[in-house]
Amino acid sequence: MKKAAVGVLILVALCALFAPLIAPYDYSRQFRESPGVAANSQFPMGTDDLGRDRFSRLIYATRISILLAPAAALVSILLALLISAITATRAAWADHALSGFTALCMSLPWIFLFIILRALLPLNTQPMESILITFGLMGIAGWAWPARIFTASIREMTNSGWLAQARASGMQPRRIALIHAWPHLRAVAAAQFRALLPAYILSEASLGLLGLGVAEPLPSWGNLLAELQHPDRIQSNPWILAPLALLMLVMICLEVIQ
Amino acid sequence: MDADSQTAIVAKSGILNRESEMSRMRLATNLITLIAVVLAGGFIAATLVRYSPGFDTIPEDLDPRINSATLQALHDQHARANSLPAFYARYLAGAMRGDLGVSHNLNQPVAELLRRRAPVTLRLILWGTAAGWLIAGLLAWMAVWTRRVILKATAFSISGLLLAIPPAVLGLAFFFNEAPLSLAVALALVPRLFGTLRALLEDCYTSPALLAARARGVTPGAIAIRYVLGAGAPQLIALMGVALVLAFGSAIPIEALCGVPGVGALTLQAALARDMPLLCGSALAITVFVTFIHAAGELATA
Repeated sequence: MKKAAVGVLILVALCALFAPLIAPYDYSRQFRESPGVAANSQFPMGTDDLGRDRFSRLIYATRISILLAPAAALVSILLALLISAITATRAAWADHALSGFTALCMSLPWIFLFIILRALLPLNTQPMESILITFGLMGIAGWAWPARIFTASIREMTNSGWLAQARASGMQPRRIALIHAWPHLRAVAAAQFRALLPAYILSEASLGLLGLGVAEPLPSWGNLLAELQHPDRIQSNPWILAPLALLMLVMICLEVIQ
Repeated sequence: MDADSQTAIVAKSGILNRESEMSRMRLATNLITLIAVVLAGGFIAATLVRYSPGFDTIPEDLDPRINSATLQALHDQHARANSLPAFYARYLAGAMRGDLGVSHNLNQPVAELLRRRAPVTLRLILWGTAAGWLIAGLLAWMAVWTRRVILKATAFSISGLLLAIPPAVLGLAFFFNEAPLSLAVALALVPRLFGTLRALLEDCYTSPALLAARARGVTPGAIAIRYVLGAGAPQLIALMGVALVLAFGSAIPIEALCGVPGVGALTLQAALARDMPLLCGSALAITVFVTFIHAAGELATA
């Protein structure tokens, strides 16, 4: 089961990487004479209201959603590591303050936090800027969950005998962090990364549906799902459901390999 | 009374004293956290409102009869009266009285808007949470208690499938089929509750006390009340607080997409219109609500 899931994920990632080779058209190319057509030999999944090929847009959307979610997860992990290192190694008051702030960030609904942060930035942005804002904010807003785990791990480490010995032998803090602490934290970081990945993919989808995600004409799973708001079109062209099916497939595969 | 009994009573009263002292400490910590959240949240909200676009505009800006020197003097006066500390103090004092300012976009008091919308959201998340608990509890029971592979696989599959669907899509599916939206909130909540409930039931199922009770022939109903609900009460109460917050997170996109006039839709509307007083007011109210729920959950489990 796990092997099959990994296989599917590799296949999807390859499709995303080689999108320009697989997609028959550019994601923004409009066929003005055929808007909203059903699937046919020219357009395997039909076209949207603006006459853009759905299949090409789905391939490019996969590229954005599946490649940038790991980047956002990486930002969260790095930020969480930095904050946890400060929390676990500084004075008690800093520890209390940061722990309290972490708990508060964790307790607030994630999407609510994102809406607030997103509102502070310009809403009318260029498509590329919208990608950076969406995934950058996800990365910044999602630090709290891994931070709590990292803080506990670092605290456990700071009380360990081997770290005391390393300190007593006069090792530089940077060297201790790189040679002793990081190998211990790597496994925890990998587990947290795997946990954040599906959450970010799902979040991007929700934000795209709300119109706060990646801006048009760039496709993402989120803004492709926005077509689901017109259920009358699904009967004439069930391929509208393809982004949802692909999203669910990837999510299930990620759950299986966890 | 012999010496041993007296020692036991003294030791027991010592433990009780320590426990009540710890409860008091916990209460004080939660109270301090709540106050800190109000102060810090209020400060962030006041700062955002104070420096939001258009705050420095005064009505006289549109009056062509006023010369530039007078206009500058009026602007200086406005800036002095609204310096950040003064504005923060006024905002916080207002918030304490329930006055969160006026929405730029809707031109109505923020507190009034929140008061009108809160019951709609509360109904949605309370029904959603209740149904979510029922469904997740049933799935957890199927996965653990029945000991049937097919039921266990079904429970895991349903939970896994629900985890893969964005709550907003669930909301749309229910909305277009004219089904209750609280059920969409419930289904979005199920996979998040299922894992914890299943682990809890698994712990209970394998506990020696429960094995002994089953061996004695205690009825399933009594087992559920005494050994599952009783033993797992602290975790269940804590999970209830988390579930409410999760339900609110799922309700935001559902409300926004399905046109439910709740706080979630209001927040999104405020964000899209960059209505800072409304956005900050709702953020402050929701932060206090969430902190209160967590504090209540923690106190209940103490």
